[in-house]
Amino acid sequence: MSEKTKPVEGQLPEALPPGCTLSRRTFLEGVGATAGLLLAGTVPGLATVASTQAKEPGVPKGNEAIASILEEDGALRYPGHTVDYAEPPGDEKWAMVIDVKACIGCRRCVYACVKENNIGRNSGFTYIQVLEMEAGKIDIEHANLDYDEAGRPDKWYMPVQCMQCAEAPCVYGCPVTATWRDPDGIVVIDYDKCIACRNCITTCPYGARHFNWVEPEVPEEERNPDVPVEAKAGVVEKCTFCIQRTRKGGTTACTEACPVGARKFGDLNDPNSEVSILLKTRRVWRLKEEYGTEPMIWYVG
Amino acid sequence: MTGVAEKAVTRPGVKRIIGIDFDFGSLRTAGPRYWAFVSLLFTLIVLGVTAWGAALSHGGAVMAMRDNYPWGLWFTNYMYYIGLSAGGLVVYASVHLFGAKQFAPLSRLAVLQAGVLVMLALLGIITDMERPWRAVYMLLSPNPSSPFVYTGSAANIYMIICFVDLWILITGKGGHKLAHRMTLIALPFAIYLHTTTAFVLALNKSRELWNSAVMVPIFLTSATASGISLLLICAYIMQRTGVFKFKPSMFRSLATLLATVIITDLFLLAVEIMTVFWPTSAKPGHALRFAEFFTGEYALAFIPVLVLGVGAFALLAGRSTRHLPAVQITASAMYVVAVFLKRYSLMAMGFSTNTLGQYTAPYFPSLTEVLIAVGLLSVGLLIMTLSARVLPLRVPEEELHDADAQDAAAAAGLAVGVG
Repeated sequence: MSEKTKPVEGQLPEALPPGCTLSRRTFLEGVGATAGLLLAGTVPGLATVASTQAKEPGVPKGNEAIASILEEDGALRYPGHTVDYAEPPGDEKWAMVIDVKACIGCRRCVYACVKENNIGRNSGFTYIQVLEMEAGKIDIEHANLDYDEAGRPDKWYMPVQCMQCAEAPCVYGCPVTATWRDPDGIVVIDYDKCIACRNCITTCPYGARHFNWVEPEVPEEERNPDVPVEAKAGVVEKCTFCIQRTRKGGTTACTEACPVGARKFGDLNDPNSEVSILLKTRRVWRLKEEYGTEPMIWYVG
Repeated sequence: MTGVAEKAVTRPGVKRIIGIDFDFGSLRTAGPRYWAFVSLLFTLIVLGVTAWGAALSHGGAVMAMRDNYPWGLWFTNYMYYIGLSAGGLVVYASVHLFGAKQFAPLSRLAVLQAGVLVMLALLGIITDMERPWRAVYMLLSPNPSSPFVYTGSAANIYMIICFVDLWILITGKGGHKLAHRMTLIALPFAIYLHTTTAFVLALNKSRELWNSAVMVPIFLTSATASGISLLLICAYIMQRTGVFKFKPSMFRSLATLLATVIITDLFLLAVEIMTVFWPTSAKPGHALRFAEFFTGEYALAFIPVLVLGVGAFALLAGRSTRHLPAVQITASAMYVVAVFLKRYSLMAMGFSTNTLGQYTAPYFPSLTEVLIAVGLLSVGLLIMTLSARVLPLRVPEEELHDADAQDAAAAAGLAVGVG
């Protein structure tokens, strides 16, 4: 792991204005608060004065094959926010490699992800969707998402989640810049800014973004204190490569949960990381690569 | 012009505000049927506001939209209303730009209709947002690569242009020249607005059936056709209720224009269908998705688009029958419905099979969504109903004759300018 960037002094928004995370019910109690909210809303807006100090990553030696992707990391679209429940982004370039030959479709990654990321038990979605595919082709149009029996030898399984694209259509499509790509490659969402237009859901080629149509309910004893819950009501959320873990040096919950070790997570800027070695030594492919979204999840198998 | 205004002011119950003579006196003489209609609209608006309150307090779950259908009735209506407003503008603009004098009596009505419809489209977005006050971020931190920013700002500016234009037309400020210049601003802006609305769908590489440049001209032609249809129906209603008096030649011209636009619209749809299914161009993802609109549940919405469209054109194409009011009204009504179903189908084409290949049953709006939409529509109807009596929408005779001469001069000037 390389050295972490220190947070830019004075750029950190202090505790976000409470009005921003106001629940919908409170709205009915006092519409008069709206004016105050508009004022409070400008604080994060002003805090987005871009921190141009975001470091030029530089391409380490031995990674020429993916140099073009790493150069993309100019953090041009980084509005200078920090995710208030994660460490500030460092010099890493997070990526994942999924071995579809090994994947048995057990969905343990899905369950681990739901628990880790406080996904509302009533929300009706999961960050990870495992597609059961017919043998002989990559035919997404005939993939089965609701299979009952995993590990069938005549099928193969492809887990799909947010690809943390370098050229993310959702980032380009968000009308209010409520989502952006952090310098370490993680596409993050500002829950206090999302206007719920759901354009990102429409524009994502991987079905990775999900809207909280209800207020997410997570049992008190199962809550992960590192991840917000209430703030997610009525906004869009998605996989963040477990930003709350990975930026502290951990790995993602899905990688940890996989019983067959099909998932490898690591730093592309580190030539000795598992993902860097896999990308160099194995023949890998990416989902819908022809869209030019430069996804950060590679498949192998 | 000023002489007309002074004459009007002498009538009782007329109040002059910002230079417009509001004829409140005519409300007193309105019959019980008028007031029954107005109170019905009020009831519907109250219901709509209640439904919106429910949506705000319970979250999006009370809507039928889900992740597979992130946009629902509000978006269909957004496209639809924006489209309808175009027709009004096209007719109004043709008065000035192409010297189509037979439409001149319609100009105020057309501009009012255009403005009110865009207002409804914008209100539809507001009622869909879970936290409407966050709309301020559209101004604080707009993202230049998002089509939403362009269509949203265009709709707002267009609405303002329409209402300013209406004011100019009614007060006669700046005379014929200013009205002509406003058209030069308003018409390109109407086209810009519809282009950006189409781009909201077309600029998504993730949704194959939308990701086609033909989406933009289809939006423009559908919009114009449905707008002209609505204007034609409106004109008939206004004539029937004695608000307006039109020459039969005006209806004939409208019908001819309508038939031309309808056949262009159908042609564009046909080439798109052909491109999706032709063996040398068919991509499995496109063909599989589009096939749902011919054979599956979605065909219930899409096949009528083709049937009603061809039917409306056939009605208007008959030389011996197209001058009959009944034929014109039927064809217009058919196309207004067809374009609504087309808007729905266009939206559904992006969502029927999601990006991970999962089929979703057709979206049908929930009661809350329908009540909100009906409430909004009532707001629009209420404005139109009140305006029909209170606002001086009828173009004074003197101005019409006056305009004839100036129009010819302006058209000649334009021709010289172009030449």
